[in-house]
Amino acid sequence: MDPPCAIEADTVSRAFGDQEVLSRVSLAVPAGEIHAVLGRNGAGKTTLIRILSGLTTPTDGAVRLLGEDASGNPRALRGRVGLVPSGDRSFYLRLSGLENLLFFARLHGMRKRAARRRAGETLAMVGLEDAARQRVGHYSHGMQKRLSIARALLTTPPVLLVDEATHDLDPHAAEVVRAHVRELADRGTATIWATQRIEELRGFADAVTVLREGETVFVGSVSAFADAVAVRSHLLRLAPSHRPGTSELRTSLAGHGSIEVVDEAEGDFRLTLAPDAVLGDAVAALTAAGAQVTACREEGSEMLDAFIRLTESE
Amino acid sequence: MSAQPYVEAPRRWGTLAEFAKLPAFLRRDLLTALSYRFGFVTGWIALGLQAVLFYFVGELVDPGALPSYGGHDVTYLEFAIIGIALGGFTALALGRISAGIRNEQLMGTLESLLVTPTSPNTIQIGTVLYDLVYVPVRTALFLVFTTLVFGLDLRAAGLPAALLVLMAFIPFVWGLGVANAGLVLTFRRGAGVVGFGAMILTLLSGAYFPLDLLPGWLATVAQYNPLALTIDSMRESLLGNAGTTDALVAAAEILPFSVVSLLGGLWIFRLALRRERRLGTIGLY
Repeated sequence: MDPPCAIEADTVSRAFGDQEVLSRVSLAVPAGEIHAVLGRNGAGKTTLIRILSGLTTPTDGAVRLLGEDASGNPRALRGRVGLVPSGDRSFYLRLSGLENLLFFARLHGMRKRAARRRAGETLAMVGLEDAARQRVGHYSHGMQKRLSIARALLTTPPVLLVDEATHDLDPHAAEVVRAHVRELADRGTATIWATQRIEELRGFADAVTVLREGETVFVGSVSAFADAVAVRSHLLRLAPSHRPGTSELRTSLAGHGSIEVVDEAEGDFRLTLAPDAVLGDAVAALTAAGAQVTACREEGSEMLDAFIRLTESE
Repeated sequence: MSAQPYVEAPRRWGTLAEFAKLPAFLRRDLLTALSYRFGFVTGWIALGLQAVLFYFVGELVDPGALPSYGGHDVTYLEFAIIGIALGGFTALALGRISAGIRNEQLMGTLESLLVTPTSPNTIQIGTVLYDLVYVPVRTALFLVFTTLVFGLDLRAAGLPAALLVLMAFIPFVWGLGVANAGLVLTFRRGAGVVGFGAMILTLLSGAYFPLDLLPGWLATVAQYNPLALTIDSMRESLLGNAGTTDALVAAAEILPFSVVSLLGGLWIFRLALRRERRLGTIGLY
């Protein structure tokens, strides 16, 4: 028998008044998996995280964490779930980073000496040891996020819930945060990673659930997500000496796709492949028509296209 | 970081473990209070100025119009100083207990507390613990300070009895504060209710004037005001000859109010917290 998933949401719904913000959302995250939850603003990501963390009760459906029913928000279970909330307002700004972590470590039941040692260790893990005695109010966004990660690390949580941890961070700080989370996952932590930054999924997340207006519109691996609905556009540069007319190029492509001029002087064209077409066949068709392709690159992000297409309102 | 299993720090569980968390709240709030040095000092100065104000008002009051305690006539300042101390204690404690949870909500830390394996009661107690310690100490120091500066004739021997009554009274204020904290959690506003409640309690307490001056029916109602019972008993202890036995009798009168207030307050607070979870609005302010 397979072990139960660390995080299980079974047809979870949540309404605020008449407005349903989550509708029958289900997901299952095994130990060691980073499961991204992707969606636009208001898609229901934060509500899902809040339900999983016990801060909000679902109006319907069930949540199981580590094989236990989480509906009663049992205290022992709370000690095994780490939460990295969105925003910076989750620390005592007049206290230092060390004092904040000490306080939360004590609330997790650690004795004073163990709490101090663990707080020091986790601060070092996220590279904040030099700022340990600085007031959190003087920390930058990135430092506060790292402190959030350090707080989640205090207890070695088998379940980690991360809500938009990188949305206001510079690329380097965001990468540092992701590295910490990846590290935790490698040690067996099941992670929910709510985000709008789709570019961070590849090479980081293992699976993705896409929410649109509270409903699940995609569940699967990251590569399946990119493949599912990708618009495949490429920018081509054609050599001036071997550049047939645009109508001739279009005719040569036939069923492979379409082509349009982007920059006549530079010889740049946009090639949009038909759904089942292969890039090599399209380029071969253009070459057969007398064109010489000197450069070819993907235009934009496949995943960005997938995200936009999946999440745009019907 | 390298991928190796964590060595989890040992943790404690159970009721005793919950008690063990309380010093962490105390340390947090002491450090926070010390970081606001200016407010800390001006609070004390304001209290001293209030005593000076009543000293000059007392010059206008005929001591013969005041009750005597243990056969001793008292000055107006001696009469009022215990009322000032207890009235200030009540207003400050009510305000701070009510505001404790609200402040956590405004700072955004309430949710951080609620996702830890800590019971709501521990969070509630922890949030007000510093004030439950600081405010009585502040009250006692205020009495000692005014006694020395204005040469008041307060009996040091009556201090244990006075403290006994105060201990019986603290849960009453705490309960009211917690109940109000629950209302604040629900309605997001509550400072006005606290101010109004503290004013009514103080008006009917005999803090600044003898209760005999009130209309007959109101004076009768005021006799059941726990603050009035506490002030009267503390005056008997510090200005008269009342001993520990008298204080125990007074404490027995006050305790039922305190028990009802505290249990009712905690119940209201839990209901409010449950409602917020159900509505999903804990983080809203």
